[in-house]
Amino acid sequence: MSALRGIKTLELAETVAGEYCGKLLADFGAEVIKLEKPGCGSPTRRLGPFAPGTTGPESSGLFAYLNTNKHSVELDILSADGSATLDKLLNHVDVVIDDHPEAWLHSVGLNPETINERRPALVLCSITAFGYAPGEEQRSAEDLTVFHASGWGFHTPSAADNTQAPLKGAGRFLPSYEAGLEAALCVTAALFEREDSRLGRFIDISKQEVLASRADYVLGQMVAGDMEVSAARTAYDLHGPAGIFPCRDGYAYIWMSAPAHWDALRQLLGSPAWMESFPPHWLEQECTQKRVAQCRHHLGEWLITQAKHEVAAAAQKLGLTLVAVNNARDLGASPQYVFRKYFCEVNHPVLGPALYPTVPYKLSETPACIESCAPLLGQHTGELAALIDQDAKGATPHIGGAV
Amino acid sequence: MTETMRGGPLQGVRVVELTKVWAGPYVGKLLAFLGAEVIRVESEGSLDVTRTYGVADINNAPGFQAVNPQKLSVQIDMKTEEGIGLILALLGQSDIVIENLRPGAVKRLGLGYENVKAAKPDIVYVSMGMYGTEGPLSYQTGYAPCFAALGALSSLVGYAGGAPTGMNIRYADSTFGTAAAYAALIALLHRRRTGIGQFVDVSAVESMSSMIGDSIMDFALNGTIAACDGNLHADMAPHGAYPCANGEWISIAVISDAQWRALAEAMGKPELAAHASYATHAGRKANAAELDKLVSQWTLQGDAAGLCSQLQERGIAASRSQSSLDLVSDPHLWARGFYTQVTDQEQHTKTILGPGWKMSRPAQISDAAPRLGEHNDYVLGSILGLSAGERQRLADAGITR
Repeated sequence: MSALRGIKTLELAETVAGEYCGKLLADFGAEVIKLEKPGCGSPTRRLGPFAPGTTGPESSGLFAYLNTNKHSVELDILSADGSATLDKLLNHVDVVIDDHPEAWLHSVGLNPETINERRPALVLCSITAFGYAPGEEQRSAEDLTVFHASGWGFHTPSAADNTQAPLKGAGRFLPSYEAGLEAALCVTAALFEREDSRLGRFIDISKQEVLASRADYVLGQMVAGDMEVSAARTAYDLHGPAGIFPCRDGYAYIWMSAPAHWDALRQLLGSPAWMESFPPHWLEQECTQKRVAQCRHHLGEWLITQAKHEVAAAAQKLGLTLVAVNNARDLGASPQYVFRKYFCEVNHPVLGPALYPTVPYKLSETPACIESCAPLLGQHTGELAALIDQDAKGATPHIGGAV
Repeated sequence: MTETMRGGPLQGVRVVELTKVWAGPYVGKLLAFLGAEVIRVESEGSLDVTRTYGVADINNAPGFQAVNPQKLSVQIDMKTEEGIGLILALLGQSDIVIENLRPGAVKRLGLGYENVKAAKPDIVYVSMGMYGTEGPLSYQTGYAPCFAALGALSSLVGYAGGAPTGMNIRYADSTFGTAAAYAALIALLHRRRTGIGQFVDVSAVESMSSMIGDSIMDFALNGTIAACDGNLHADMAPHGAYPCANGEWISIAVISDAQWRALAEAMGKPELAAHASYATHAGRKANAAELDKLVSQWTLQGDAAGLCSQLQERGIAASRSQSSLDLVSDPHLWARGFYTQVTDQEQHTKTILGPGWKMSRPAQISDAAPRLGEHNDYVLGSILGLSAGERQRLADAGITR
C-alpha cells in the first residue's frame, strides 16, 4: 500500500512549485486532481523541454515530469458555474495546493484566514515568492528574483569575480523545487496530526524564506552576530583549494580540508616534487592565498590529463574527496543510479517512452512509484460528476483514508 | 509524553538523531520546528565538528547553534556496550531515528536497522548517505559540493563558454536534509495509519538531481546536455543580475512582451519596445547579449532599491541581489518573524532563522541549541526511568556525562 493512498488533493497550482509539491504527494499514492483551464490547461504545458516533432498541450516534457500520477479535470473556476463546482469539490478533498498570489485565492473564494471555519478539516497550502502577505515591492517575482532576494544569487558562484555578474543557480526552477519540497513536508506533517485531531490548517510557504533557511549554517551565525556580515560576494565561502577543474573528458571536483586529504593526494600523485614545499598541516593551519593558488595550479595541470570517473575512483579508494562533475548523461550511466533505480521508464501517449528521474529516497514499505504518466488535458473531466454526485447521495466527506 | 507541549503538527512525536555536521541535523531541526521532540545523542569521544570548529567552548559553537535550535542533547558514550544499550532503550521509546554517520558506522556500533527494529519494531529509521546505504558506489563519501557535482547540478551553473562553477559551496546539505525529512514524515504517516514502520534510505546525490528534474527530462527526450550559459533562460529575456551604480546588483526577469515594453519605458527608451530586434521573445533571446548591455547601461545609473521600486511599479519582476548585510536587515524577513528569538539555559536570548513556512496552529519555537548533555536527566530519568543512583553510576563510569 502506498503511504498516501486515499488522500484526495486538489491542485489549483499552475507553476512548477505547486505542481512539484503535488507530484511528490501523488508519487506516494495521493489522488491528485489537477484543475486546468479549459482548452489550454496549465501554463507549464507551454514550457519546454518539448519532445521532437510534437506540438500542443501534450508536448511538454516539463509538464510530463511534474504531473505523473495525477488526474486532469478541465474547469474554469473563475466562471460562476466553475466556482460552484469548486465549492462542491472542496467538500471531498483533504488537501488543496495553490501557488498563485494571495489575491487569486480570494478571487476563487478561498480565504486562508477563514477557510478552516467552514471547512475545519481542510489542509490548504499556499506557495508564493515572499509569503502570503508580500511587501509592496515584492509583488512581481520570478524564480530568478527570489533566488537573489534569498542571498543565494549574490553568493553564487563561490570565489566570485566581481567583474562578472552573480549567477542564476542551477536550471530554471531550483527555487520552485525547493519550495515544493518544503510544502510537501508541511502538508504531510499536517495530515499526520489530522489523523487524530480531524483538523486541517493553512500552510504559507515563502520561497524566499525556504531558500534563506537552506543557508542556516552561515546565515544563522550571521543573524546571531557570530559571523561577519558584509557586502562581499564571498561572505558565504570557505577558503581553500577546493573547486572544479577540467579533465580530459569533462570536469572533476576536488575537496581538500584536512591533512589526510593531502596525504591521499600525495599517494595518488606519487609524491611529486611540488608538494614538498607545503607544510604537512597547511590545509588546516597555514592555508595562505599563495599556497592555494600554487596548489590549484598544480592540480589543474594534473587533472587535465585524467579521465573524470577513473581518477575519482582511484582517489576515493585512497580517501581523497574527488568526484566527477556529472551531467545528465552521466547520471543514466551511473552504476549507483542504476542500482537504486533512480530512473523509471514512463510511456506517454504523445511523448513516447522515456526514462524519468524519480525521487532521492527509498522507502522499504511504501516506495514512491510512478503508476501513470501525466494526464492528457481534461482526461479525467468525466470523473468530476461522480465526485460531486456524492453530495446528492449524502455521502460523508472522506477523511484520512485510514485502513 | 514528551517534555514540553509546544503544539504544532508533530507534537508528541519523538525523534532521535545520530547525526553529524549539517544534513542530518537539518532534518531534526525541521522536525523540531514542526513540533517534534528531537533528541541529539552525542558522544563526547566523537563530537560533531560543528561543536568544536573555530571555538574553545563546545556549548557556544556558532555553527552548531545555528542548525540545532529547539533540540535536546543527551551525552552517551557510543564506544561502550552499555552506552549502546542505553541508546537502544531510548530508540525503543522513540518514533523516528535519523542517522548520517559514515557508511557502515551505525552497523559497526550495533545501531543498524535490524538491531533497532528488534528494540522498536515500528521504528521509522532514516539513513542518509552521499549515495545511499547500498550499491556499488555507496562506499564513497564527500561533502556538500560533491553531492552537487555528482548529482549533475553543478554542471548547469557557470559563465557561458567557461568551466562550471557550481552553486555557492554551502548548497546541498540542507536540501538533502529536507528530502530526508519529507520521506521520514511519509513513513511516520504510514505508521500512524497501519502500525508498520520502515527503513528510509536517502541519497544526497539524488537529492541534487531532483532539483534539476526538467533538465534531466531534456536529456531523456532530446539527448540534450546543457552547457553553462551564465544567466540565460529559455523562457525569459532580459533575465539576469545587472550592475548598479554603487557596486550592488539587481536581478531582473522579463517574461512577456508587455513587460518588455514596460521595461523599455522605465529605461527611458520606449523606442526599444518596438525595435525589430527586441519586440518578441525570440528576438530578445537571439539578441540577449546586446540586450543585457542595454539594460546594464541603464542599471549602472541607479541604485538597486530605486531601480527595484521603478520596476515593481510597472509589474516587472525585480529584486536586489541581497548580500549578507542586506539579508540580516531585510525588513520583510523581520516583519514575517523569519528571524526569531530563542533563549538558552542561562536565559540569554539569541536570534535564529525560523522555518520557511508559517502555519496555523504552529509549533512554538523558543529554545536555543542545547549544551552537550543538557537533557541527560530528562532522557535517562524521565524517559528511561533510571533512578538517580543509577544515573550517578553511569556518570561515574563515564558512560554518560
